[in-house]
Amino acid sequence: MTRGAPGRDDSAARGAVLLAPAMLLTAVALGTALVSLGLTSTGLMPVTGAPRASLAGFTADSTDLLLGVREALLIAVPATALAVVVGVVTAVLVVGSRRGARWLGPAAAAVLPVPHLVGAAAVGLLLSDSGLGARVLHVAPGSWPALVGGPLPVATVLEFAWKESAFVGIVVVAAVSRQVAVLGDTASLLGAGGLRRLRHVTLPLMAPAAAAAGVIVFLYTAGAYEVAWLLGRAYPEPLPVLAYRLFTSIDLTAHPEAAAAALVSIAVALGSAGTVLPLLHRLGAAR
Amino acid sequence: MRASTVAARLATAALVAWFGMPFVPLVVWAFADRWTWPSTLPQQWGLRGWASIGQDAMLPALARSAVLGALVAAVATPLGALAGRALGWRLAAHPGPPTLLLLAPVALPPFAIAMGVDSVLLRARIPGTLALVLVLAVFALPYTTAVFRSAYTGLDPELEHQARMLGASARQAFGRATLPALLPAAGAAVALAFLVGWSDYIVTVVVGGGQYVTAPVLVASAASGPGNEPTVAAYALLTILPLLAAIAAVAGLTSTRRGRVRREGEPA
Repeated sequence: MTRGAPGRDDSAARGAVLLAPAMLLTAVALGTALVSLGLTSTGLMPVTGAPRASLAGFTADSTDLLLGVREALLIAVPATALAVVVGVVTAVLVVGSRRGARWLGPAAAAVLPVPHLVGAAAVGLLLSDSGLGARVLHVAPGSWPALVGGPLPVATVLEFAWKESAFVGIVVVAAVSRQVAVLGDTASLLGAGGLRRLRHVTLPLMAPAAAAAGVIVFLYTAGAYEVAWLLGRAYPEPLPVLAYRLFTSIDLTAHPEAAAAALVSIAVALGSAGTVLPLLHRLGAAR
Repeated sequence: MRASTVAARLATAALVAWFGMPFVPLVVWAFADRWTWPSTLPQQWGLRGWASIGQDAMLPALARSAVLGALVAAVATPLGALAGRALGWRLAAHPGPPTLLLLAPVALPPFAIAMGVDSVLLRARIPGTLALVLVLAVFALPYTTAVFRSAYTGLDPELEHQARMLGASARQAFGRATLPALLPAAGAAVALAFLVGWSDYIVTVVVGGGQYVTAPVLVASAASGPGNEPTVAAYALLTILPLLAAIAAVAGLTSTRRGRVRREGEPA
């Protein structure tokens, strides 16, 4: 413990100075946003006219708000599950085989920087009723399943799963590649075959990073706007799409409802994070 | 060949197809002048999709995206470096609250934060572009901080201490002892923060108030209307090609350097 030798207070003060700019910017932006959403949703910060406290923003269309939560979860849960499974399989192949490292590593790396909006446009061109899929399979537009804009958010989920599986794969590979090599070699020296190495060495090593990446994917997909807007149906909308439509509505009285939808979206995110983070901590993913 | 090898090969091929598939319609449609159903491939190839690039101001939009990415990186990288130093070298008395605050933007939906900030901007008369850069920097900070934190964790602070004992100023000690080892992390942080600005759609639209038209904004307006497939594909390709080229260049550079190190150092 020589690091703080001249005095712990001194180093703590330096730490506070180093942290201050980033914390200040984050706290001001998030604080401003939360206070402003709180005041707008309760009628205390109207665009025009006198402030009047009311919960109408939350109650006026509470059915839409609840449907918005349901739609957001209907997207985020399957998208996260698919992304984690595909991402972990990718990581296993990249870490465990020369061919995987050579082909899958670059393939996942190419997906990572693609903006979600561009991904959504591409998935639309692939899966819509006049898309590449329908043309290659010779299915008439009327008989093609409604993957884009249909009752189930299939195209939205697939876009998120596509992009985020690359993210999960790369995060997991970065977290474990060295340990897997060393422990895997030890295990095979001790006589463990491929499947046993996978089950007892590779997957347990990957679990914390995969779980942490999964939480990030869930939070992102539950609160993202553009993919569901481009590939989803008009009604009911997931919370982000609902909130932004109300926010841009010509009817200024829709502003409290927009702010309420945004706050519910934040509550869903913080609620999920609060529930899952302690579990992650136990898994050791905090590292 | 063993069954597990065959399975691994099949899985690898399937996953390469999974990652590559969405790029296929982009490439085909970007060069399709006429492609009516049920033809599997375009009846007429051409550059119709690319013709509208000049009229529609796609090139200025790409430049705006690049400027936005650069500005977000310019704010989020130094701030992340400072915070990463404090967290990586355990200089904070209570690291829990700052860590939680700086990670919070990962959990919060960007559209919601943008909407909240925007309502205040109108009243406070803060320029939209400045606010846009700052809000996006907040969403980039968790990444830049994490990258620098992990880089600092792997560095021994004693090096800087020793340089100071030998008479170096604080700046010299940092510049000579720490900075060179931080450069890869700094590169990664700049790249991640740049991507946050380059890729963003919803914060740009909400906080920029529709005034700041970036490449994703143009892709969105093309993709939301029917019958624009060649244009959508050309715009989408233009938005991702610079990034893929940059990644390929970096990968090429790293592998050359690694190859050189291997040749000069121990046998591979």
